[in-house]
This record gives sequence, structure tokens and C-alpha cells, in this order.
Amino acid sequence: MSASQSAVRSRAEAVAVSRAFDWMILFTLFTAVLGGYHIHYMLTGGDWDFWSDWKDRRLWVTVAPIVSITFPAAVQAMLWYRYRLPIGATVCILALLLGEWINRYLNFWGWTYFPVNFCFPSNLMPGAIVLDVILMLGSSMTLTAVVGGLAWGLLFYPGNWPIIAPLHVPVEYNGMMFTLADLQGYHYVRTGTPEYIRMVEKGTLRTFGKDVAPVSAFFSGFVSVIIYFLWHFFGKWFNKTNFIQDDES
Amino acid sequence: MKLIKDKVAKLSFVALLVTMTAAIFYTPTASAHGEKSQAAFMRMRTIHWFDLNWSKDEVAVNETMSISGKLHVFAGWPETVDKPEVSFLNIGIPGPVFIRAGSWIGNQLVPRSVTLELGETYTFKVLLKARRPGDWHVHTMMNVEGGGPIIGPGKWVTITGSMGSFVNPLVTLTGETIDLETYGLSNIYFWHALWYAIGLAWLLFWCKRPMFVPRHIAMTTGKRDTLISAGDKKVGILFAVGTMAIVAVSMGSTNDKYPVTTPLQAGLMRGMVPVEMPEPSVVVKVEDATYRVPGRAMQMTLTITNNGDSAVRLGEFMTASVRFLDADVLEDETGYPDDLLAEEGLTVSDGSPIAPGETRTMEVTASDAAWEVYRLADLIYDPDSRFAGLLFFFNEDGERQMVMVDAPLIPSFI
Repeated sequence: MSASQSAVRSRAEAVAVSRAFDWMILFTLFTAVLGGYHIHYMLTGGDWDFWSDWKDRRLWVTVAPIVSITFPAAVQAMLWYRYRLPIGATVCILALLLGEWINRYLNFWGWTYFPVNFCFPSNLMPGAIVLDVILMLGSSMTLTAVVGGLAWGLLFYPGNWPIIAPLHVPVEYNGMMFTLADLQGYHYVRTGTPEYIRMVEKGTLRTFGKDVAPVSAFFSGFVSVIIYFLWHFFGKWFNKTNFIQDDES
Repeated sequence: MKLIKDKVAKLSFVALLVTMTAAIFYTPTASAHGEKSQAAFMRMRTIHWFDLNWSKDEVAVNETMSISGKLHVFAGWPETVDKPEVSFLNIGIPGPVFIRAGSWIGNQLVPRSVTLELGETYTFKVLLKARRPGDWHVHTMMNVEGGGPIIGPGKWVTITGSMGSFVNPLVTLTGETIDLETYGLSNIYFWHALWYAIGLAWLLFWCKRPMFVPRHIAMTTGKRDTLISAGDKKVGILFAVGTMAIVAVSMGSTNDKYPVTTPLQAGLMRGMVPVEMPEPSVVVKVEDATYRVPGRAMQMTLTITNNGDSAVRLGEFMTASVRFLDADVLEDETGYPDDLLAEEGLTVSDGSPIAPGETRTMEVTASDAAWEVYRLADLIYDPDSRFAGLLFFFNEDGERQMVMVDAPLIPSFI
């Protein structure tokens, strides 16, 4: 067979090869995103995602969506403008959560014995699905950034509330009040993480009394819109073949 | 020749792989906490831990033990370390092998960061509940914001039993009895599994049809509008609406199930009450201090004035958790860690009691391998070559006085 001949000899063979490519590309994309996104999220979201006693109604709600909309925006740009596939955000979150659960279960629990109910990851799936659907329906980066980015921020806290609410039940312990999450942080010793490192409930957002989570979520959504634009362009920028040398040129 | 080269290359590669694989299986337990690596001046001139007591050397899972004692916040705190205005009484253990059941400074529970005052002495206690079997080095530890961890002495404690039997029962303010070790686990697994399944369903909906090659061809041949059908949009709307409905309903039902929740508790605790230490009647002036590198010994010339009404003798010099004792005056009966105890490490040029009203200048030598083992000799490489420590004087009745010393140190290399 010469180089100019096709590698396949029938339509059935072509379909089979195409499907094989599908799974290979999807697997490669999934694992590459798992690695890259996981490292990115650990470095930027870090402790807010690691520990239940960092999952507060102000900073966790603000930081986690902002730093996590990055890869979904970039991968959406690639999969949508090249293939019209509205699965970029969902693929990212599936990959991230798989990596996170492997890490939390094998490392945090299996290796260092922190209980899983103390070091479970945040749930980012509701925002991812909505982001993908908005892109599919609108076929517009601007619409997805504005509506989807805002939804990404707004859905984060309520999407996680069923998971963290039980840990915000108060308890009296040695004459002081804690939430159960606070007590987890106190009981399960993190030698290298002193309490003052914990960035929770800081800030001057006091005008809204106890209802600061929605305000934080809105702010997070606004910033997520900007971050979405930025990373969407990163996705488009890297999603080129300019770097492949053309033999004929 | 090429054949031999190829074989050597192949075998080398195999050997490399075998070595790397073997390295994975060599995972010895990390026993120490880097206490010897911490700069000597940090250990000498920040927090002095003394009168320490580890209540047990061996505990079974679910049993408790405590570390208690005093900590002196050194008045000559180094400039290069932030003041202990935000500090946290920690415990130096390899992860949650114990749970910290309680920690107190004075009588105040200190689950959060505290402000400590320079020159003051505080009592402290850390209550630990055994969780994971093994032999663990248990250190006292104070974290200081801007200064890092300041680790105190460590002692080996053995935990026996099975971690599977560990329980951490609590009664919440809503009256529910829970085991914090496993509380809410099934709820966490359920919600994550549900959302993961929904995400997978969305992915599979698109994966069941040809994806990359045909779609790319369609995109480049002007058929992009054919790639998303009306059916696809309907399914997408179903997923989005379903997602928002699940979020809303689950949030509502969670609020019904947990009507009382509170925000995470945080904030600095001030007003730690120091222990009233008796005003020392002994005044010590450091005339000079040298560290003899070859002899692993520090020699001080001290002028000591006894303003009290009973004769006193110098019994102990303590610095960086290493205790140098004069065996004629003091014998340790607290079970202090052997490696930090120089039972005969303190010698004085004139060991006779210093009478009331007397002023005496004498040579005091603190020598022990601990200078080297605990890398205190590295003090000579610190940016501010000073030493500091606590001197303990005893009268005939065994009453103790604590005097702090802080002075420049000159190294001697011959």
C-alpha cells in the first residue's frame, strides 16, 4: 500500500476506524484534562476543596467557582468550534471529580487516614451541565459566558448544600460552640495546617446579615463570567494546528 | 558490536525499570517532624517548653492521653520571626493518628488561634484520643503566623488495638447522637454518585454517535448546522431543567431536614491568662559565652547575685528543649525524652551554694552530643549569633527559680 492509498477499504471499515479514533481521543482528552485540571484546581482551590472546615458561605462559595470555570471554558471552546460537541464542561468535571475522588480516597484516607467525610471534593456537576446546555442552545460564547458563567457561580452553593449541610449542624464542645465541620478540623490533626491558615468567614460583607451566601454566589458568578471569556480564548488559542510543520511549506 | 550495544541498552533500561519499581515498594514510615532541621535560633529564642508531662507511653485505640506543661514566650523574640500575635497550639504527630480531643492554654479551650504576650509563661494541655495503632513521635508544637511551626520536644507513644474500632461519638445541639468518624458518609457518596451519573448520562448521550472525525468533516464542509438536531436541544433542555430542579428540590429538602445550621466558627482568641511565675530573687548577668565547636560544649561566664534569703544552686540549663542537668543538684524524674536530656551535661566551676546576698562569677559549661545531634551547633551559622535559654536555680528545700538568659555567642573553632 502506498502512502497515497486509503488505509481503509470499505465504509464499514472507515466507520470502525472513526469510532476507534473517537474512543482514543476521548480517553486521551479525559486523562489529560484529569491531570491538568486536577493540578490546577488543587493549586488554586486547594484547601477550600480539600477540607469540610474550609467550605464556608463566603470564600469557598466565591473562590471555588472562579478557579474551576477555567478548564471547562477552554475545553468547551475546543469541542464546540471544532466538533459542535456540547460536552466540554461535563467532560472536565467528570475527569476532575474522578481524579479528586481517587486522590481523596487513596491518599487522604488510605494513606494519611483523614476520614472521607472530612476531605470530600466539592460538587461541580450542576454548573457543568447547565454550561454545556447553554452553549448548545445559544451557540454563542458571549451568551455562554454571561448566562452560563453566572449560572456556574449561582448553582455551586445550592448544589453542594445537601452534602455540607449536615456538617453545619452545631455542637457544644468543652464550653464552646462549633459546627461539626469545625470540630472535624480540630479533631483530625493537620500538623502542617495551623488554624490561622484557614480562610473562612473573613471579609467585610456584613450588610446582608446571615444571608451572605447568595451575595457571594452572585459575585462569584460575575467573576466567573470574566474568567470564562479569558479561558475560552485560551482554549481557542491552543486549539490550533499552526505548530505542526507542513512538509509542503 | 551493535548487537552488544543494543543488549546493554535494553538491559540498562530493564534495570532502571526494576529499580524504579522496587523503589515504590520501599516506603518507610516518616518518624520525625524536622525538628532538627529548624534553625537553632528559632528553637532557642522563641518558645521554651518545660515541666512537660506525657501522661502515658502506651494507649489503646479510643483511650486518651495528654501532654501538659508550661511554655515560656521568650522576651528576646528574634526580629526575623513575626511576633506570636496569631499563634495556634498544635500537636506534632504524623497526621490524625490521635484526634485532638481538647487543647487548653491556662483554663481556656483553644481550638482557634490565640495571641501570646512576649515574656509570659503559660500552662498548656493537649488531650489526645488514640486512633491509629503504631509507634508515634508526639511533639508539642506552636504555630506562629509569619514564623512557622515551632516544634517542642517529642516522645514516642505506642497505640495498640485496631483503627476499625475507633469511634468519635458526639451529641449535637439538635439532640442527635452521631459518630463523627463516619457521620454523613453515605449522604456524601449518594450525592456525588448521583451527580456523576447525571454527568455521565449527558456524556454518553453524545458519545453514542460518531464524534470527532465525521463531525470535524461536517464542520469544515459547511454542514455545521446539521450537527445539533431539534431532538438534541430537547434533551439538553431536559438535562438543564432537570439539573436546576434537582438542585432546588434537594436544597429545600435539606433545609427541612436540617433546619438548624450555623456558619463555620472562626476568629482570633485574645486574653490568654499567663501563669503567675514567682519573681526570681536570683539575678544573672552573662559576661560572655562561647561555643567550642570541637568539644560540642557551650561555656558561659555568669555573674550571679542571690538577692533571696536562702542559698541557691544552679541545677539546669535548658535551651531548644535540650535539658542540661547538674546531677549533684537535680535528677529528672518526669520521664523526659532521653535524647533531649543531658543528665550530667551541666558543670559549674564552683558548685557550692550561692549564699543570700552573695555575688559570684563562675564558669558554666553545657556539654553533650545533643548540641550536634540536634544541630544546635548550627547556631554559629545563624544571622544573629545569640543564644538563649532558661536557667533553673534550686534552694535547699528544692524550691525552683527560673531565670532567662539571652546573650551573644562567640564560636571557638580550636
